Amino acid sequence: MAQLSVAAPPNEREEAFVLARSLPPPGPMPGRFWKIDLAKLALEELTPGSATPQFELSEEAKRKGVVACDLASARAAHAAIISATEGNVADWRSGRFTALNVARRENGAFIFLPKGAVVDEPIVVSYDLEGPAAFPYVLVAASEGARATIITRFRCGSNLELVSEIVEIVALEHAAVTYATVQDFGPRVRAFWSRRGNIGRDAELHWALAELGAELSIGDVKSTTLESGARTTISGFFFPNKGQHVDVQSEADHPAGQTQSETLFKSAAIDGGQARYIGNIRIRPAAHGVDATLRDDALLLSKDSHIDSIPALEIGANDVKAYHGATIGAIDDEVLFYAMSRGIERHEAERMIALGFFEPALVRFPTEALRDELRRALAGKIV
Amino acid sequence: MASGLNVTDLRVTVDSTEILKGIDLSVERGRVHALMGPNGSGKSTLAFALAGHPSYQIAGGNAKLDGEDLLELSPDKRAKLGLFLSFQYPAAIPGVSVANFLRSARTAVRGSDLTPAQFRALVFEQLDHLGIDTSFLGRYVNDGFSGGEKKRLEMLQLAVLAPKYAILDETDSGLDVDALRDVGESLTTLRSGSLSDTGFLIITHYPRILQYVEPDVVHIMMDGRIVKTGGADLAHRIEAEGYDNIRDEVASGAA
Repeated sequence: MAQLSVAAPPNEREEAFVLARSLPPPGPMPGRFWKIDLAKLALEELTPGSATPQFELSEEAKRKGVVACDLASARAAHAAIISATEGNVADWRSGRFTALNVARRENGAFIFLPKGAVVDEPIVVSYDLEGPAAFPYVLVAASEGARATIITRFRCGSNLELVSEIVEIVALEHAAVTYATVQDFGPRVRAFWSRRGNIGRDAELHWALAELGAELSIGDVKSTTLESGARTTISGFFFPNKGQHVDVQSEADHPAGQTQSETLFKSAAIDGGQARYIGNIRIRPAAHGVDATLRDDALLLSKDSHIDSIPALEIGANDVKAYHGATIGAIDDEVLFYAMSRGIERHEAERMIALGFFEPALVRFPTEALRDELRRALAGKIV
Repeated sequence: MASGLNVTDLRVTVDSTEILKGIDLSVERGRVHALMGPNGSGKSTLAFALAGHPSYQIAGGNAKLDGEDLLELSPDKRAKLGLFLSFQYPAAIPGVSVANFLRSARTAVRGSDLTPAQFRALVFEQLDHLGIDTSFLGRYVNDGFSGGEKKRLEMLQLAVLAPKYAILDETDSGLDVDALRDVGESLTTLRSGSLSDTGFLIITHYPRILQYVEPDVVHIMMDGRIVKTGGADLAHRIEAEGYDNIRDEVASGAA
């Protein structure tokens, strides 16, 4: 798996900070998109708080040798896999706030699945974030044939203002990782995140991303299918309401042929919520036999809300299957009439239709308890 | 207070075009009225206008359900009064399961009058009548349904809501022989059981659904007007002759 370890990890935090300062801030976006001027955010003046991960690991997982602990504690015992992965999956040099994460993070969460370890119970990472600025980092290394589901949750201190998060996942041959995460930060938080995964031969990586909180959330998720038989799904939803701005990019990158991806994003906006989604399928030259689909649906629930939805295909190989489809619109009058004709009041019908809209993405999240929690959180946004 | 679904001189426009040009019609509880007519005569417009579709403008006349004026009410309030429309082309509601939708509709119309166990028993009995597998309940409402499945779901909702008045808009269209039999037999069962007191307005182009539900009254609609009203024999005449003879009679003033 030489491809999975390219460069050395970042060893100069100061170098990362200099880089962060030199890179332009994201946005502002064209059109009616957010007016938050990130250039005014001086990186020097950001006071790091803390980001402390805690772990729930089943007895079964422990018995099978699964490791879930903070990164610093794992460095000695897992030096090879950490140095091969840390800083090499995520393209942290390309963004101001990802570089800032590398410059400022103190520790991280480390999850290691040994060869053949198949774990049913989800591994839960609970990250305590204290402000003003917090820099969580998660590294997941799944060895050959390992299978597990990881759920990352955050608990925020009331002083939190900025979060820059990086997730790096490697799934080796025949491994299968499901990674679910819920961004439910408070209304003052500006969140920046980059979540990347490299997928080996016949391995799988499934993302399930929920964007619920924060004033501003800008992030990208990317799966790279490095060897034949690699498969990935990228699923997510976001639902900005009053005062919220979301900017999400996803990419299924297919450097190797005979690989598959399926991307599904459901986005809605209400009460002035603003969002942009850019979804890409990239099929590299000679990556023949790729089968990739992307679907994103956007639902506008008020006239003052706005969603830009931009699906894209970059196809460099022949003999591939690639499909993308996007829809954008308000609740269909005929659907609303149908529901109301059954006695359901307008507001309740709208809520039912809007929540149903998210369901195809929601069902991809692990555990019924989490899905129900997400349904309640979404319902809470439709006042 | 006059009971019945009473429509008086109802005139309806769609996009400034007058479609219904003065409809008079009274459906009594427990009786079956068939509304027949060629395509484009305005039958479905009457159904949508009575159910409260926002695209149908009332240009005149009125419609009352057991004395309550329907036309000022939103569609959900009409349903709560006891009106039900079985759609010719029911809309899909992705992400909303049939079970949740049925439960929401029943609660909206009738309040929480059934325990979960009673509700379940009611639904399962109807699934059985309709020849539907219970897995149907977990599917999303009309999402990817065949024509037959959509009409079966309409019948399932009819049974679950048990309205005072039910308008069935072309329930027999787009059904193959088996689906027509399931839907028709389910209607027969409902008529002789829990819906024996329901007034039906069965809108149909072809009389074939009427072999399952013998109408008490048959109305023929042409060009936005009811041009002829009679007994069940009128439906048999349409079956044998089509609409042309009646059209000619109307044109010559013999009707």
